[in-house]
Amino acid sequence: MEDMLEDTVLVNLRINGRLHELEIPAHKSLLDLLREDLNLTGTHMGCMTGHCGACTVSIDGRVAKSCITLAATLGRAKITTIEGLTQDDGTLSALQQAFWDNAGFQCGYCAPGMLLCTVELLETNPDPSDADIDTALAGNLCRCTGYQSIRRAVKAAITTTKEGAPQAAE
Amino acid sequence: MSLYPAFARPRDLGQAAEIMGSLSTGAMIIAGGQEVMPSVNYGALMPEVYIDVGQITALKGISEENGAIQIGSFTVHRDVQQSDVIQNNLPLLSYAAAQIGGGMQVHNRGTIGGNIVSMHPLYDILPSLLALGADVDILKDGEEQRMALADLMKDASHGLGSESLLVRVLLKPMTPDAGWAYEKLKITAGGYGSANAAAIVTLDSDKITSLRIIVGAVSALPVDISDALSDYRGQAWSEHLAEEIEAKASAAIKEPLSDHQGDGDWRRAMAGVMARRAIEAAVKRAG
Repeated sequence: MEDMLEDTVLVNLRINGRLHELEIPAHKSLLDLLREDLNLTGTHMGCMTGHCGACTVSIDGRVAKSCITLAATLGRAKITTIEGLTQDDGTLSALQQAFWDNAGFQCGYCAPGMLLCTVELLETNPDPSDADIDTALAGNLCRCTGYQSIRRAVKAAITTTKEGAPQAAE
Repeated sequence: MSLYPAFARPRDLGQAAEIMGSLSTGAMIIAGGQEVMPSVNYGALMPEVYIDVGQITALKGISEENGAIQIGSFTVHRDVQQSDVIQNNLPLLSYAAAQIGGGMQVHNRGTIGGNIVSMHPLYDILPSLLALGADVDILKDGEEQRMALADLMKDASHGLGSESLLVRVLLKPMTPDAGWAYEKLKITAGGYGSANAAAIVTLDSDKITSLRIIVGAVSALPVDISDALSDYRGQAWSEHLAEEIEAKASAAIKEPLSDHQGDGDWRRAMAGVMARRAIEAAVKRAG
């Protein structure tokens, strides 16, 4: 029986395209793993109770709150963090650019969560209504913008997508 | 025991039973983590062993066979919302799963099993499951036991979460003519309601042939007020009936919650309002 208990757990996570074989303690949250062990500090710690959404990442194509995700349960998951949206040379994705252009953030603390949720929204629903956008972002709190500019940024991103993503700036 | 928790990954129900049986208190079953992890992060819960049930295939998936629908306890809210089986046969449940708070992130990871086992008064699934007359299979003392969800909730010694495991939820399809509704009153920021009600009604022309209403988020557990409404069977639907149902629903709340979602007297009043709105909406859908 005792041999069924492990003190540390081996996981093979593909994070932003890179494979990480990690031996982790059972209690570690995905948030702590990303920030402390892998230095991916774009994923933010907020409330630690699953309310605010600042720690949002994508796990196997579905957004999740990393502060309430036990890393040891993830096995061989594919994870995308905010760092994974940007090209290696730092060029912003079309969605990030739309948030930049439309002041879709102010302090930026909630921005990673807003962006990753919008990525999933637009993958599943390329032409969302205002209500669809609000529902998709309901798990993310923003204390600066009043949400209007975030909604505007999402709509701008949809327009950009329809017209074809702009080429990266020279 | 180490300062830090240990981890167990049973591959099937047999191993899960073995692990649960061999550990004393301090074990915590973890599925999506959406209930457990906030409590751990806040220090309210300090598991000595996590039992990760994510590899047990018997806990996963939604199936329909001979008019019986099974939902594995490790089915996330998003899959309950989007499943064709649930949408076609149990639209009330599909709708209620979409009203769960916490956003898309929680819908993607939170499981129907975790939602039930937590038995949190403010959560959104229990009223609908009770209205639908759900049964559950529990793995306890090495054996699977089937019981009504309503009975499980009355049993304080169920041990779910550490000593026993919720395996699946069993439901019968709603009849196609049944009207249904889930109403949730949300006045504060965040995902929680201050009162809610699930209703299922069938009508023969305008006469009520069956009626079930469960009121939630107003007391420690959802309250089934259906028995108090049994006299309405055979009666014609009218606005007057809706007002009576509102009064009966409020009167049924003996010990209302009084917290940041609203004080007790108001919650009791809102229980009635939600019951009335739910039955009105359900009647509109019926037939």
